[in-house]
Amino acid sequence: MPALLLLLLLAAAAAVCFPNLIHATLALALAFALLGAAFLALGAEFAGFVQILVNVGAVAVLIAFVVLITRPERITIDLPSGAAWTGALAALVLGATLVFCVVRTPLDPGPLMRGAAAAPSSAKAIGTDLIGAYLLPLQLLGLLLTAALVGAALLARDEPGPGESEGPDR
Amino acid sequence: MTLSMVLLVSCGLFTLGLIAALTHTHAIRILIGIELMLGAANLNFIAFWRAGVDPGALVGVMTVLFAIGIAAAETALGLALVLLVRRRSREVDVDRIRELNG
Repeated sequence: MPALLLLLLLAAAAAVCFPNLIHATLALALAFALLGAAFLALGAEFAGFVQILVNVGAVAVLIAFVVLITRPERITIDLPSGAAWTGALAALVLGATLVFCVVRTPLDPGPLMRGAAAAPSSAKAIGTDLIGAYLLPLQLLGLLLTAALVGAALLARDEPGPGESEGPDR
Repeated sequence: MTLSMVLLVSCGLFTLGLIAALTHTHAIRILIGIELMLGAANLNFIAFWRAGVDPGALVGVMTVLFAIGIAAAETALGLALVLLVRRRSREVDVDRIRELNG
């Protein structure tokens, strides 16, 4: 299991560092898949499969499509400017603070999957909860997804704006 | 796999996402960073749910499910905005985008 978590960090680092955007997107898909595997290993089967289906199957593929559509006409080399170094430094300081907090907190040193057999997260229990206690959030999420879908289609539809001629490359 | 090990990995994942979001100027790379940070938060939820006293209460799993759904909506809208800005101003670099009005 530590190997899985290490691979997850490596894939995430690759998604951040790869200079080619398509490679970075594929590394992101790999990181999502490994994150789903980590959910599975932690006993959250339903969340793991949703993670793989939604994030690997939809989000990463969507990002890859947009990368291919918005292929830049001129390649800009992303040289780290002063602001970028400041941002990286701030992020590293925050990460160090988080690691310090985790290390200094007295956490349960036992293995996580101890009580897994006693309380499995079955899909049946999750479904019962979804149409029971979580019914209103579920409906709101459906509304949000519909609104986001309609809004995204409206924003990205292929139509010349007012006073703008049809581009030759579309 | 102990709780602190998962939490440390989550810290690393969040830091990597924050580095991506703060250092890059390409809009899609910033989105990738945001996705990584959301994944780190979800990993934390699952770990604390598993370490909690009552894993039969599915609060952690439910939070992760809703977070994944909301993150999908956010990504779809963000990518649509990238497409729109790219079509209007031929630019995907957030430092060079100057105009936002219709």
